Amino acid sequence: MKTFNSNKINSVPSVKNLCSLCGKTFFLSFFILTILISFSSCKKFLSKTSPNDVADENMFQDAASLESARIGLYNTLQDVNYYGGYFPLMVDAHSDNGQTGGYDSPALDELGNKTLTSSNLYIENTWIEIYNTIYTANQIIEHVDGIEDPTLSDELRNDIHGEALTIRALAHFDLLRMFGEHWDLTSTYGIPIVDHIATPEEIIGRSTVSATYDFIIGDLTAALDLVSNDDYRYDPVVPKGHQYITNDAVKALLARVYQYKKDYANASEFASEVINSGNFSLASNVSDVYTTKLSSESIFELTFSSLDRSQYNAATYARPDALRSEVLFLANENLKEFFAQPDRTNDSRAALVDFVNNDLSIEPDGRTQKYRGEDFQDNSAYIIRLPEMFLIEAEGSSFYPPPESINILRMARGLPAYTPQDVFDGNEVINERRAELNFEGHRFFDLAHWGKVQEVLGADVKSVFPIPLREVTASGGVLEQYPGY
Amino acid sequence: MKRTTITKLLIFVLLFITAQSFAQNYTVTGKVTDANNVELIGATVRLKSDASIGTNTDEEGEFNLKVPEISGALIFTYVGYADKEVAFSVGNMFLKVAMGADRELEEVIVVGYGVQRKSDVIGAISTIKGDKIEDQPVSNVASSIQGKVSGINVSNASGTPGASLLVSIRGLSNPLYVVEGIPLISESNSAIATSYDTQGNVTGSGQSISSISDINPDDIASVEILKDASSTAIYGARASNGVVLITTKRGQAGKTKFNLNYYTGVQSVLHPIHFLNSDQFVALEEEARQNDLNVYNNDNMAFGPDFNPAVLTNPLPDTWHTGVNTDWMNEIFRAAPINDVDFSMRGGSEKTKFFFGTSYFDQQGTVIESYYKRFNTRLNFDHEINDHISFGTNLSITYSRNRRSFNDDVYTGIVTNAIGASPLMPVYNEDGTYSDFTQYQASWLSDNPVKSAHEIIGYTNTYRLLGTVFGQIKFAKNFAFKSSWSADYTYLTDNQYFSPLTVDAENVGGKATDANFNQLIWLGENILTYDKKLGDHHVNLVGGFTLQESQSASQSISGQGFPEGSGLQLVSSAANITGGSSTATGWSLVSFLGRVTYDYKSKYLFEVSARSDGSSRFSPSNQFAFFPAVAGGWRISSEDFFPKNEVLTGLKLRASYGLTGDQEIGDFQYVKFWYPITYDGQPGLAPRNLSDPNLKWQTNKMIDFGFDYELFGARLSGSFDYYKGNKTDLLSEDVIPGTSGFGTITRNYGNIENKGWEFNVDATVLRSAVTWDIGANISYLHNEIISLSTDGVLVSAYNDLAPTHILQEGEALGTFWGVKYLGVDPETGDPLYEDLNNDGTIDDNDAQIIGKATPDYYGGFYTDLKWKNWDLSLSSSFSIGNDVYNLIRGEYESLGWSDQGWDENNVLYQVYANNSDIVNNRWQQPGDQTDIPRASLINLNVYQNSSQTIENGSFFRIRTILLGYTIKPKTTKNFNSIRIYAQVQNPFLFSGYSGFDPEVSSNGGDQPSTAGIDYAAYPSARTFMGGFSFNF
Repeated sequence: MKTFNSNKINSVPSVKNLCSLCGKTFFLSFFILTILISFSSCKKFLSKTSPNDVADENMFQDAASLESARIGLYNTLQDVNYYGGYFPLMVDAHSDNGQTGGYDSPALDELGNKTLTSSNLYIENTWIEIYNTIYTANQIIEHVDGIEDPTLSDELRNDIHGEALTIRALAHFDLLRMFGEHWDLTSTYGIPIVDHIATPEEIIGRSTVSATYDFIIGDLTAALDLVSNDDYRYDPVVPKGHQYITNDAVKALLARVYQYKKDYANASEFASEVINSGNFSLASNVSDVYTTKLSSESIFELTFSSLDRSQYNAATYARPDALRSEVLFLANENLKEFFAQPDRTNDSRAALVDFVNNDLSIEPDGRTQKYRGEDFQDNSAYIIRLPEMFLIEAEGSSFYPPPESINILRMARGLPAYTPQDVFDGNEVINERRAELNFEGHRFFDLAHWGKVQEVLGADVKSVFPIPLREVTASGGVLEQYPGY
Repeated sequence: MKRTTITKLLIFVLLFITAQSFAQNYTVTGKVTDANNVELIGATVRLKSDASIGTNTDEEGEFNLKVPEISGALIFTYVGYADKEVAFSVGNMFLKVAMGADRELEEVIVVGYGVQRKSDVIGAISTIKGDKIEDQPVSNVASSIQGKVSGINVSNASGTPGASLLVSIRGLSNPLYVVEGIPLISESNSAIATSYDTQGNVTGSGQSISSISDINPDDIASVEILKDASSTAIYGARASNGVVLITTKRGQAGKTKFNLNYYTGVQSVLHPIHFLNSDQFVALEEEARQNDLNVYNNDNMAFGPDFNPAVLTNPLPDTWHTGVNTDWMNEIFRAAPINDVDFSMRGGSEKTKFFFGTSYFDQQGTVIESYYKRFNTRLNFDHEINDHISFGTNLSITYSRNRRSFNDDVYTGIVTNAIGASPLMPVYNEDGTYSDFTQYQASWLSDNPVKSAHEIIGYTNTYRLLGTVFGQIKFAKNFAFKSSWSADYTYLTDNQYFSPLTVDAENVGGKATDANFNQLIWLGENILTYDKKLGDHHVNLVGGFTLQESQSASQSISGQGFPEGSGLQLVSSAANITGGSSTATGWSLVSFLGRVTYDYKSKYLFEVSARSDGSSRFSPSNQFAFFPAVAGGWRISSEDFFPKNEVLTGLKLRASYGLTGDQEIGDFQYVKFWYPITYDGQPGLAPRNLSDPNLKWQTNKMIDFGFDYELFGARLSGSFDYYKGNKTDLLSEDVIPGTSGFGTITRNYGNIENKGWEFNVDATVLRSAVTWDIGANISYLHNEIISLSTDGVLVSAYNDLAPTHILQEGEALGTFWGVKYLGVDPETGDPLYEDLNNDGTIDDNDAQIIGKATPDYYGGFYTDLKWKNWDLSLSSSFSIGNDVYNLIRGEYESLGWSDQGWDENNVLYQVYANNSDIVNNRWQQPGDQTDIPRASLINLNVYQNSSQTIENGSFFRIRTILLGYTIKPKTTKNFNSIRIYAQVQNPFLFSGYSGFDPEVSSNGGDQPSTAGIDYAAYPSARTFMGGFSFNF
């Protein structure tokens, strides 16, 4: 009976019961949905992967990821605080070539006024960025030999390995000339050497200057045997573009490092090898160097594009009518006077600095014309060029008689060759370097190399940059500040 | 017989009809009072069987209501009292009604995943009911609690229309907002930045627009603020900064009620900075040159060996005497209208109830061109299928359109450019084109500010849908199971266009960025409740399981070179595409929660709650964390031994301890990544970050002791709390040695302590013909960094400025760093600074701690006065002990300094900036005692990163004054009430601060470590408004 009754109720439900029934169904479906979702594994629900990035553990599995990391390594050089703009520009701003504009920004003013403090943001950012390049190079160096991929030829593996060693050396060298007493091999004020993937907890103090040089030269020497001038990605093999590290670029960097180390024999030897390689030539018109990409003078040039911009144009030119406040890195009036000297009358490089077409607020300072192109702002970083090789060779030679190398350069730039009858005061090379390399990040280091920082910039100005206060703090004081800062 | 019968029948029918038509003739009269026999004026009286028949009590508290039935019941309602039902019948047609004791006793408040009787609450919870909110025309929910609740500091960090308010609970900003049970993201809702430097690089995200800006304040029934761990722990992982619960209005059974609300007003800048006019500007310059000439005449080497004094004596060029006198504040600010119209209806039957509301809000900004408009619709629906099963939905749809003000906080902004612009510069040339800022006397500008306002065009459009569907089943007497499923969908578009007239884009013929962002967050919650009362014992159990997941994506594309004169602004019209990006991210959260509450005679109260959260933001080994809390309460005044007295009539002691967490670190932070980049046109991967695979939850351990008190039979009531919170395992960007390749790593480090006390009192001063309530609250806060992995790290509020703050153990978060200013030398007028390292020069190496952004005390008081149909209320707030780093002051106190603004003939053409009238107090002659140095052309006598620009940020302000008049008709047949009101928001600010507003924070202030910076952010407004509310 009971069964019958309930059947009856179910088959002819009252309105009320119907509602309660659909309510129950409603509730039941909620409940079932809930149970289904709750008991499907929590772990699965909580596992998310980023669609934007690649996890570290998936890198260096094959030739393709090694290639990606190699491009990534060049990209780290492009950072705005390194060769994307500020590193070379701030080095010139902190010399008699440069002055700073901007909006009364303390960090910028310190550079222009040559009154650096250790809390300067530009220096702080550059320090981190250069070590970021070193970190990336170390990633490649540590993993390159472990990759098992039949499509990766030995030539290519060695080439990438050598490029990473070279860039690691370049980065350490840039740190040494910025933060170390690079002119004094007996000094203890070298820089922290990072030859492995450092952990966040690791605290690394300064090495001596000579140990730093040994490390840099070690890397470059090893790279010399690994890096090729050819690109093995193509079959048949083609010459590598100079936007990448080539064997010539390794030699050029070795020449530069030996020159800083004042080992002129080695410096001249490597410089001549580059000059005589036949792969480079002086531009017939110096402005071509700065208006065309990868000119015949570029040994290693970091290139940019309109989608991958550098800061050079924005920071040195901004726009035709720019005010002083808009231009961060100005050309110092002193550079105008330098080019106005009678012996530079026909120097074609004088036209690369403009002291005329500027807003009143910029005067008497001016603007460099090396980084024009306001539309796309894709100006290159001229990391190492052929003229520097001539100047390195010249520095190692006696000026009696004047070396041919400096004369080749002078004549290419519209100046008369030195003759044995000329009187030399020892400033020929540093001056020629100033004329050639201004706004490419050399002047302050040159002044330190020649021991002229105090003479030119002022008695209180130190010959090295301060270690960022942040680093001294983060290292618990292990990283020793340069005396006086 | 027949005839008689028919006649009788006829008579009966006639009588019946007559009776029907004269039915209203029965009259019920009576008097309504409160428990203390005080008449209640304007109490609503309604017939139970037909709610359309009703009236209000008169000035004696009496009523007279004609009813159609001889017996029945009347319902009495009065704000603040429990509704009361009283029967009437023949012979009982005069009712003397004493409204039940203050509703307080029965008042329920919303807690996490449930409600509790207010008397049984043990946690530290503050609540604001909707009637307090709806009387106050505000655009953002948060502003309705400003100054009203202890322990909560709500500040208007920006006057930007639609801008978020900075809410900090017990010193911790960015609380979790839970709207109708949906935890909302509280970060900014914009896909792209609006702050750029002159190089076109992003310098900041600009003023943020809050995600709760989309909630219409008129729809809100109550706001509960959960402060201590016992009330917040049930929100576990996201509750460490406190929780704000927002409940919206729901339908009520009975006649459908309509409400139409409208207000209109006009806003103007509260405290404009007054700048020198052109005569004063020129006079300042002449004085600066004369001062320097005096110095030079005393000492020819004072300005260096190469200095040519001709610049001090050459007459100023003719351009300094054009008679032009532009008041730049006037040019960029305006009296801006604000309008809001809101319509709602609520009603339904006992089984089905609904609330429908729609509103349109239009706020024009006080800076020209900017505005915020919001259109919002809400539908809340509840249906009871039977006694056991019910379901409902909440749905809110919002569209908002925001015309952004650009670069509010950086030196290229509209306000920042107008600050210091030369008064000799006209806005327009004679031919109607914008004047060229480079040709005038102030070098501070980066563009003509009026041009920036008109020619940089940026819109943010937001489409937001918040929806919930829920079902509830009650079974086995004491059980209830509720399942609810919600979605929070946001679609946002940003369009920015820089016309070719702007400095930013004149080289490239105009540039634009179009971007969009979309996010879907869904949430499923399943909550089982058990509630049992057995004699004096009452047990309530809550258990639940929730799932939440977010998926979001954003895209942007930039282009430059627009067809001249075409008016086209979208990137598709650009000649060159200059950038693009497309990214996506997501997170998920699984939670189990539970709570046990037990009370004995409502005298001994006990509660344990816990939540276990699993988050995708942590590595699989650390995904889950457990957040328990325990609390106890003792209503000591209910004890027999408690002396019965007239003064202290109620006292409840409370104590709680618990843990809460924080996971707001962004997605995937525990993974070490390589990100896609390009070089030489080749794709590649570069290292993005270092990571700590052991990343785990940040926890906030909080202990709270407090008591609730009632004096004189609840005429005076309030509470006191002492708390101490320790945030440990902080999740933040920790400083690491740069030799690791990176400057920071996201990891757990350090310990920050927040402790303090808070006290509030609410008093009923009068409750007779005049009712008068007052209330006040005060909170004390002490914030201290206990430990850090790296002590003494300097941070900067702007990435291109010198350090402005320091993170140091023993100091507060938001401690200012800079050189100490010692005042003005009365003899020379030169500024004096402390040379901390005694090296003879003043620079950043002399910096020290010079102030802090957090206040010691804050609070407010309010008063509500009602007399007959009139009501008057006032609310205020104060802050004591906080400093503001007025970095922009260095510009408008540059005192005639020129950054080498003279030509080769030593003729001065340009100085740095115009100055505000604070320089009228400058040093002018030997002996002057002042803290404003002398004017000088050569020396910059203000040091930006020094205590010279630090000002006391303490203030007292009247937030609102409101006067209302309510018309209540004798019968509610046509309408229930009309209320007309007038209000002034922000009428008075008492502060010594020289900038726009000491509450303004240029970087939004939501980064506590760099809080308290003023860089000429969008100023706050004073608003006069009037409106009406029509209930029918």
